[in-house]
Formats: sequence, structure tokens, C-alpha cells
Amino acid sequence: MMSRFIARVGLLVLPVIALLTAGCSEADLKVRQSTFDAKGPVARMQYDIFMDSVYLVTVLFAIVGGLLVYAVIRFRARPGDENKPAIVEDGHGNPVTEILLIVASIGALVFLAIPTLKGIWYQDDVPEDRVPAGRLSVWYPRVEGGVENYAEAVKDQVLEIDVVGKQWWFRFEYPQFGLTNDGRRSVPNELVIPKGVPVRINLRSEDVIHSFWIPKVAGKVDLMPGRRNRMWIQADETGHYYGQCAEFCGDSHAYMLFRCEVLEPADFARWVRAQKQDAPEPPAGSKAAEGKALFAAKTCAMCHNVSGHFGAGAFGPDLTHVASRKSLAGAWLDNRNPEAQRAAEAAAGGNTEASAPVDRAVQKANLIRWIGSSGVLHAEAAEPTRDVKPGNRMHYYKMFNVAGLNETKTKLTPSELDALAEYLLTLK
Amino acid sequence: MSHDHHHAPVASRYDLAPERSDIGLIRPDRFTGWRDWLTTVDHKKIGVLYGAFAMFFFLVGGVEALGIRTQLSRPDNDFITARMYNQLFTMHGTTMIFLGVMPLSAAFFNFLVPLQIGARDVAFPRLNAFSLWTFVFGAFVLNASWLFEFAHLSGWLKSFGWYNALVYTDFAPANGWFSYAPLSGTFGQADAALRAPRFTGVGTDFWIIGIQILGIASLAASFNFICTILNMRAKGMTMMRLPVFTWMTLVTSFLIILAFPAITVALIQLMFDRQFGANFFNPSAGGQPVLWQHLFWIFGHPEVYILVLPAMGIVSEVLPTFSGKSLFGYPIIVFSGAVIGFLGFAVWSHHMFTTGLGPVPTAAFSLLTMAIAVPTGVKIFNWLGTIWGGRVRFTPPMVLSLGFIWMFMCGGFSGIMHSSAPADSQQQDSYFVIAHFHYVLLGGVLLGLMSGLYFWFPKIFGRMPKASVAYWASGLVILGFNLAFGPMHYLGLAGQPRRTHTYHAGFGWETWNYVATIGAFILGIGVFIAFANLVWTAFRGEKCSSDPWDGRTLEWSLPSPVPEYNFARSPVIACRDAFFAHKHGAHRLVYEQDGGEAGVHMPSQSWMPLLASCGFLLAGLGMPMSAMGVPHAGWVVIAGLGVLFLGIWLWALEGPGGYMLKTPVAPAPAPAEAAASR
Amino acid sequence: MSHSAAHAHEAPTSTGIDHKKLIMWLFLASDCMFFGTLISTHLLYRKLYPTGFTDAEGHQQFVQKLFDIELTSFSTFILLMSSFLMALAVSAMHKGGQLKSFRRNVLGVIVFGLIFLGCQVYEFTHFYHQGLTVQNSVFGSTFYVLTGTHGTHVAIGVLWLVLLYFYSFTGKLGGHVGALDVEVAGLYWHFVDIVWIIIFTAVYLVEYLGPDGIWGNGLPPVPGVTR
Repeated sequence: MMSRFIARVGLLVLPVIALLTAGCSEADLKVRQSTFDAKGPVARMQYDIFMDSVYLVTVLFAIVGGLLVYAVIRFRARPGDENKPAIVEDGHGNPVTEILLIVASIGALVFLAIPTLKGIWYQDDVPEDRVPAGRLSVWYPRVEGGVENYAEAVKDQVLEIDVVGKQWWFRFEYPQFGLTNDGRRSVPNELVIPKGVPVRINLRSEDVIHSFWIPKVAGKVDLMPGRRNRMWIQADETGHYYGQCAEFCGDSHAYMLFRCEVLEPADFARWVRAQKQDAPEPPAGSKAAEGKALFAAKTCAMCHNVSGHFGAGAFGPDLTHVASRKSLAGAWLDNRNPEAQRAAEAAAGGNTEASAPVDRAVQKANLIRWIGSSGVLHAEAAEPTRDVKPGNRMHYYKMFNVAGLNETKTKLTPSELDALAEYLLTLK
Repeated sequence: MSHDHHHAPVASRYDLAPERSDIGLIRPDRFTGWRDWLTTVDHKKIGVLYGAFAMFFFLVGGVEALGIRTQLSRPDNDFITARMYNQLFTMHGTTMIFLGVMPLSAAFFNFLVPLQIGARDVAFPRLNAFSLWTFVFGAFVLNASWLFEFAHLSGWLKSFGWYNALVYTDFAPANGWFSYAPLSGTFGQADAALRAPRFTGVGTDFWIIGIQILGIASLAASFNFICTILNMRAKGMTMMRLPVFTWMTLVTSFLIILAFPAITVALIQLMFDRQFGANFFNPSAGGQPVLWQHLFWIFGHPEVYILVLPAMGIVSEVLPTFSGKSLFGYPIIVFSGAVIGFLGFAVWSHHMFTTGLGPVPTAAFSLLTMAIAVPTGVKIFNWLGTIWGGRVRFTPPMVLSLGFIWMFMCGGFSGIMHSSAPADSQQQDSYFVIAHFHYVLLGGVLLGLMSGLYFWFPKIFGRMPKASVAYWASGLVILGFNLAFGPMHYLGLAGQPRRTHTYHAGFGWETWNYVATIGAFILGIGVFIAFANLVWTAFRGEKCSSDPWDGRTLEWSLPSPVPEYNFARSPVIACRDAFFAHKHGAHRLVYEQDGGEAGVHMPSQSWMPLLASCGFLLAGLGMPMSAMGVPHAGWVVIAGLGVLFLGIWLWALEGPGGYMLKTPVAPAPAPAEAAASR
Repeated sequence: MSHSAAHAHEAPTSTGIDHKKLIMWLFLASDCMFFGTLISTHLLYRKLYPTGFTDAEGHQQFVQKLFDIELTSFSTFILLMSSFLMALAVSAMHKGGQLKSFRRNVLGVIVFGLIFLGCQVYEFTHFYHQGLTVQNSVFGSTFYVLTGTHGTHVAIGVLWLVLLYFYSFTGKLGGHVGALDVEVAGLYWHFVDIVWIIIFTAVYLVEYLGPDGIWGNGLPPVPGVTR
């Protein structure tokens, strides 16, 4: 009976353990959103505490689990037991053992509690002006040609970024550089930060609760409507990081991703300057120029801002530099060639932060798929593809019957769609 | 008084003369068949009904889970839509917690508590029936949302004049079992009809009213059980002689009556936001969504212990039985259960570490959460102590109970891991958390409850489930469970967030999601076999003796199945595990001189609990339907409240009723003789 | 007294407390948490938004001006007195079922309860016309839902007592069971009364404390300090 039971349990448990261990390789610990592969001080601190808890739990598991297995085998019923008298004395336990065990478990928890408390204050301690190395005036003027871009009033502050959550995309604003939504200069879905300096993040939401999470850089903090949360992050290596909304926020929660580009400070300064450029005028008579006209005629400009062309839209993502980004539609559609991306990661030794450049053909296909699937295709066009993002606000007119917006006004024929995509591709 | 001739003891309730109660109706005491089941006030039948409905909803929730796992088996899958996925995970969580685990625990409470304390029924038999039917109708209201959803998807609803395709989004709830505002609530300004715009459709209204009704059922049942346990113990059954399962029932019931009001109020507030344009959680009017989270988790964390403690109670009965040894450290197990219940109210904010509480509350809740590991650890030590020095028999219930300890221990360990707030900020809302609470709630609670089912099934039906099938089923459950949820620890730490209906290839999550799906199907097959074995046994199984396991507590002293009067004579208790002591000669179990030809008092059956519960059914269906704009649905709500009132009124007027039932009593020694012979 | 009832209730309970009384105490414990949650909600929001609400015309309104503290004090007094009458009614039943005395007192409780409800209805309509609605402010939401829930409790209590009152004429309300039924209703009624005292303090009186209240320094409250 017993040996059969052990064999059974072994048959069940061993393959699980074998699978688990066989599956473990270093590459598994370095996947795109791995928390094992910390690339900044906050994530590293969180990982260290996690590992403390792993050590603690492994020891406890070995002791308690070992005793349990031992007890079950050692005290199994044996043939002939039924002839022995039953054990009838009442078990009152053993107070000394109990107290010792309680004290020991409290001691074990103190082992975890100390780094926990330290960590709570460390991650709450947003670096303000007293971290000299983080001040804008310390690192920003040193980078080539960067000086004119921040106001005198903020020179003693650390870099500050406002993160705004919406269903289902993130908006990033850099108030110290004048890159704000009010100034029609915000950055959707691709956060860009300089390497090696602490960055203060202010979090808020314009609709439901979202959560800001770049696993390799820092654990998540929620974006609560009606509150302002804050955190700080710092990335120690340049590269293309992956983040995701981590609080359920409705239909397309799974599609609410974002990216974080970590640049050398000099590149960051260049990037800020580029963000402040207006969009170039498409050549007259080109397909792109036709697309620009459609952008207004089909009411895109009511929600989307394109600095230099259209300035009314504050609701949707800013499209002034949409073609410069490696992703589209809340970072769900990747503008890079998958083959090239795999090659780039392999070339960097499996480093998932390595990134291939934007592939224009993939980008155009993504644009057409995204706009075309959002319920705006004309009836005569091919079957609309499955929604890229169900419930997205390009359906807005449909869901809420907004006056003045009707289907004929927003529908596109395939050639119009193509022109619109060509126009968007010029917005680098 | 009209009940007078009931006073003459009868041999069977079918022998009762038909007579009218105060309200001029005949009490439905002589029914057989389905009408007997609808009007029963017998705690054992009610327990069986609770168990049957719970197992049905377990299977429903399981099918929902398999839908989720199928969708996630490979990246960029389009097996189901995003919205269907969101509805599935919402209903999976809600179903498993409120319609699966809680009612199955209630089935055990119902069946066992009176037997274990030596009573003939619960304190309020009709209230007990009311709890059952209110639960059933609440479950129906919640799941009626699926009927509307399918009608909507199939296009059938379009034929109705009130249907407006532009307005409806989801019919089944799609906001998670936690329903965080403002996603479940409103935004912007209320219009002239006092409605503010909402993020989700009427599914949320179904959810709100469904949970509200289920809450009423749980509250009513809990009042009843506390009363029963405190007030109806047999002579000599002191509190420190109560079986541990009964103790855990008591603690759980207290948790329910103290924790459910928080969710009741939160649901009322959310309902006011949605139906009347109030501003409790509407951020554009100054409402604080974080308040919903506080109220929800003040209920939600004790709820976790409401789910776990009954299973712990079951394990605390099974382990001593099959170790042939009394429970090690009974007082400290009882005390730690109470401490867990108490601390359960002090740790709710560990569900909210990422909401920006500030360092001091975060630290406080972190430490309190670690502290709750101590009484939990104490339980595990004492279970270990129970096995130590015993003679362990590996029967199916014992295997499942050992599985419970093992899986619960794993779940507890990952719980320690995210008691640390900084580490938790990486784990919160990731698959790591899913792995954690499934180890606690599925590996822990479900195995515990299955252990209880296999343990007490011979007592309930007098038939023994097939052990070979049970071993296979337990093996499949344990294997499938570990395959499904073990890898999720890794997936969460590899950054896969919860509640996402799909994911891209290239993030390194493909393999283990596939493995998890295979595990989920194995688990599903295992649970199905385990349940099928039980259902088959109930009707066709092999008959067994009344005490097949060498049981310890009073229920094993009764015939199987247990007669409706439970104890022919009331027992007098002299020690813990009185029946075991009696069998093995330590203390003889003696009985009072009641019953016999004089009869024992039995409560009369009644239609009124069912009638009152029907009021909840009508009101519960009417409210979301009126939110949909179905004409006259508001009147259905009012009619429902009317039926509820009518049911309660007639219930009060008809009185408890009751009759005397003769019990077959073997000539037994009187207490004095028995005491002398000891 | 009915025999069946005798069977049901004469069996001594383990604690010595009747089932009905025990379950009412348990219900009240639960109801404590219920009102505790509602009152906490109100107080939390009051702390966040201390200066009142904005009415339909966009005017800032201060709740001190809205409240009619004399009227509310009166209705509070009425409810307190109803508790006194309830105690007399319970005592009448316990002294061997003095039904006449019971009816007289319980009728007083019913009338006082109705007066309280009337005051509340008046107050609600008055506040509504002053511009405080469930929709236009968080204060409106918490105020109406909290006091309205309490009002519902009072209304249920009145209904219960009315039914008991008429039941007393059937001759079936008597003895130990009858006294117990009345006592349980009394427990409920006293609880509802006590909760009102807390609501009266936490919702009404609290607005008159501090520098903004009538006992404060008399300076007008600072507008715009809402968040």
C-alpha cells in the first residue's frame, strides 16, 4: 500500500520538477519583462528583497516539507496495527515546542522585515533637489548643445515626467522642457529617459485606474484617478525597455503596453530638441498631401494633434512624431521587422534591450491595419480586420452618438486610407 | 391553539394529520419528492442541496477557467474576444468564490455542525432554508447575465424595441471579481435621468445585485450557525470540547457577519453611483476610487479566511482520524484559527501596496501581513504534530488532506514573498499572484473540501465512493494543478500581467502558458472524475457501515444515512472526541432519557422561505433589466420586494409549527447506570 | 401560549440566552459594521472636502447654513423618547403580558417614529430645494445615503411595531415567547436610536465645531479649499 502510494506520488511529482528545472535557463531570466534582470537601482532593490524571501522560504520549505515527508513515511500504518490498542490519550500539544516554534517563526520574519522596511523608504524616497548628481543643471548643460531647453527655475530639480493613463494608452509629458499636452507637445506610449540619472515620475489617470510598470527598471505604481501618485526610476543601461499597464482597465487592457527608451544624456538632449520641431509640410500634390487634407476632413484632427499642421486635438495621442516611434497603437503593434529584431537581440548576446530600427514597410502596414480596423473603413472596402483594440475611442462617435459625427463623415475608402498612412509616415 | 394535536408523537411525518396553521394553510410536512426538497427545513437535506449546487457551479467556474486557459495557450490567440475573456475571468472568480467554495463550505456547516455538537437541528430551521434558496437565486441572478450576453451575441435581443446596440457593451460582468471603481462606476456628470456615463454595461449591475443577494444569504446562514453553535450544544459539550471543524465554522461565521457589511455598503454606494448619479467613486465629481478598494478589501481579505478556515477545519478532522491519534495542540489550533480571523481584518491594504498609500501604512500592513504567517505556521506545525507518532492510513480523504497541507504551505510561502511591499510591487497583478492564491484557494481549499467530501460522503449517503477512482482523481488533480499553477510563479516574475486576454510572442511566456493550459485540462478532468465518482456513489455506490473510518466525532455514532431526528436520544459529552473515546473504552458516551415514545420535537416544513427568496429573484432580475431599459422592469423590482415582504410576513404568522416524532431507542443504560459501569 | 412554541423555546439553550435574542444581538453586531462603514465614508469625504458643496447655480453652499439644527435636535429628542417608550413596552410584556400598557406604549413608539420619519422627509425635500442633491456633490451622496439608510431602518422598525401592535389583538402575543418577540423588536429599536445619536453627532453637530462653526471665531469659511 505504502510503496504503491510513494510510487504514485513520485510518478506525479517528478515530471513536474523535471519540467521545471529543465525549463530553467539563463535566457529565461532575461526575457523582455523579466523582474530577474534588474537594470536600475529600484528594480535591483526589489529583486534583492525578493531573493531574501526566496532564501527564507527555501529554508522553511526544506524544514517543514522535509519533516512532513518524514512523518508521513515514518508513521505510516503498518500491518498489525489494527491489533494494537488505539491511541486514546488526549493530545494537549507541547507548550514549550509551540512557543519555541512561534518565536523561531517570528525571528525568521524579522529577517525579511528589515530589508522590507528599508526598501519601502528607499522606493518612496523620490530624489528631490538634494541628489546633486541628479540635478538638471548638473548633467544637462554638459551634453552637447542642450542648454537652451530648460527653464532657469528648474535647474536645481531632477528630471520630472508626468505619466497620464487613458484607456488604453499612456501619455508622457516633460513639463521642464515644455513638452506637455497643453502645449500640444506630449509624447504618447514611448517614454524616453536619460541613462544613469534618477527620474521623478508623477502619475495620474484621466479615466480608470491604470498601473505603470517597467519590470526591469521598477515595480509598479498605480495611476489613480483623483489622486497624484509618484515614484522614481533610474535605468543604468541604454536600450529599449518594455512596460505594460498592470491594472485591469477595461476591454483592451491587454493592449495597453508602452516602451521605455533609455538614451545616453547627449542623445536624450537631441531627442528633446527633435520633439520640439514642428512636422514638415508634405510636398504639394503628393499622396501625403492628400492624406493631410483627409486628416482634417475625416475629423482625425479633432482628437489628434500634429504640431505645425493641426493644433486642436488634445484628446488622442499626439501624432507629431508618430513615424519616429518603434510601436503603434499603445505599443501593441511593433514597427520593427521581427526577423531583424531577433537578429539584433541575438547579436547583443540575448539582450532584449537591443533594438532593430523601424521598418517602414511594417510601419505602414501597421498604420493601415490600425486605422482600418477601427471601424472607420468604408462599406465598399474589404472586410474590416478584427479590431486591433476593441472599444478604442476611434469608435467614440459610435459609442456616444457625438453630434455632427456620423459614419459617412469618418469612413475611408482603401485609397484614402493609403493616403492617410503616407501622410502619417512623413511625421518623423 | 391549532397545533395541539401535533402534540401526539407520530412515528413518521407522513402520519401527520393534515391541519391548518394560523394563516389557514397546511404545513407541507407530508410531502415527498421534489416538493419535499423545496420545503425542507432539515439541515442535512439543505446541506446536500448546498453541496449539489456548489458542485454544479464549481463545474461552471471550471469551464470558464478552461475558456481562459484555452485563450492563453498560445500568443496572439483569438479563440475568444477580449470582452468575452474579461467576462470569463470576472465570472470565473466570482463563481468560484461565491458560488463554489462558500456554498460548499456551507454544505459542510449545514450537514455537520448540528451532528458534531449533538443537536437535532439548527437554531432557525426555516432561516436555514431561506439562506439556501437566497443563495440559489442570487447565483441565478448572477448567471442570468450570461443568458442575456448570449442572447445579445446571437442577435436575438435585437428584435426587442428597447434594445439599443449603441449603448450596450457587456451583459455579463466584465470588471473583475473586485470590480474596481471607477471602471465599474461612473464618470462625468449625471444627466436628467440621474444617470452618469459608465465604463461598463449592465453586466456590472447584474454583479452588484447578485453579490448583494448572495451576501444576504451568507449573513442569514452565519447568524444561524453562530446561534446554533453557541446555544444548541449537547450537555457537556463545552466550547473547548467542540470539534475543530465546528470551531472553524464559528470563526468563519463571525468573519462573515463582520466583513460582509463593508461590501454591502460598498455595493449600495456603487449602485447609487450607477443608478442615481451619486458621486461616491466618481472621480470627476470628487469621489475617491481608492475608497472602493478599501471597502472592498476590508471585506475581501477576511473573505480569504472565510474560504480557507472551513477547509482547515476539515483537515483538522481528517488528519487525527487517519493518524489514529487526537489532534496535537487542540487549544492552540483553535486559538490560532481565531487569531487568523482577527488578524484577517488588519491586513486588507496589502492588496493595495501599489496604490500609493505612503510609506507608513505600507510598512504597517507589510509587517501585519508577515505576522499572519505565524498563526498559519502554528496550524501547520500542529498538523505535523498530529501525524507524528500516529499510524497514518492513506485513504482518499487523507491523501487529499496531505495534498492540502502541501499545497497550502506552498501558497503560504509565496504569500510571505509578497508580504514584503517592495518585492510585491513587482509581483502585484502579475501571474505570480495568480499562482499564489490558486495554491491557497485551489491547492489548499479545494483539496480540503474534496477531502471533506470523500470523508463524510459515506455518512451523508451511507455509500462508500470507489477508492481506486478517488486515488486517480486526486492524482490527476494534484498533478494538473501543479502543472497549471507552478509555472505561473515564473510567468509572473517574467513580467506577465494578470487579466490580459492575450500576449505577444517574443516575451518568453509562450512555453509555460502552453504547459499551464495542459495542466488546467488535466486538473479539470481530475475534478470532473472526482465529482462524477461522488454523484455515481450517491445513487449506485456500495453501501458501507455507519463508521467506516474509525471516526472520532459524534456524527460517526449515528446511522448512515443520518435519520431526520439525528439523535434518537441526546448525547451527554464527557470529553473531546467523545465517540472515539467511547469506542475505545476511555469514556462511555451516555445519553439523556429523551426521545423514544415521547418523541422529539421536529420543526415543520414551510414554503415561506422559498417564497421570500423568490422576492430576491424578482427584484434581482428586475434591477439590471430596468438598467437595460426593459419596459416595466422597475415594477418587477417592486413586485419582488412585495413578494419578499409577503413571504416574511406569512413566515412570521405561520409560526415555527412543529410536531413530536417518535424515535427508535434501543434499550440503553440510564446515565446513572452508565456512569457506574465506567 | 401555543404548545408548539413551547416545544421550540422551552428547551434550555447552552448559553441561557434565547435563540431569538442571540440572533438579534448578532444582527446588531453586523449592523454596527454596516453603519460604521457608512459613517466612515461620510467622515472621510467630509475631511477631504470640508467646505460644503456647489448647488445647481454654481454657488458655493455651506452645510452649516443648510442644516436646521433646531429641527434635527427636535427629531433626535423624539427618537430618544421613543426608545424610552419602547423600554416601557418591553417591561410591560415582561411583567406578565400587560397588553394594554404594551399597546399604549408601542403606539407611542410608532407615532414618535413616524414623527421622526416625517422630519426626515421634510428635511430631505427642504435640502433638495436648497440645492443639495445626491448628484451634485460628494456631500450630498454621503449625506442622503447615510441618513436615508438610517431612515429605512426606522421605517422597517415602525412597520415591525405596527405588525406587533395589531398582532397583540389576536391574543397570540403573550407569555415568554410574546415578551421575547417584543424584547427583540426593542433591541432593534434601541440600536437604531443609538446609531442616530452617532449620526447626529458625526453628520450634524460636527459641522458646528471648529473655526467654521457657530462656536468658532465667526470668520467666514475659506472658499476654494476643497482638495
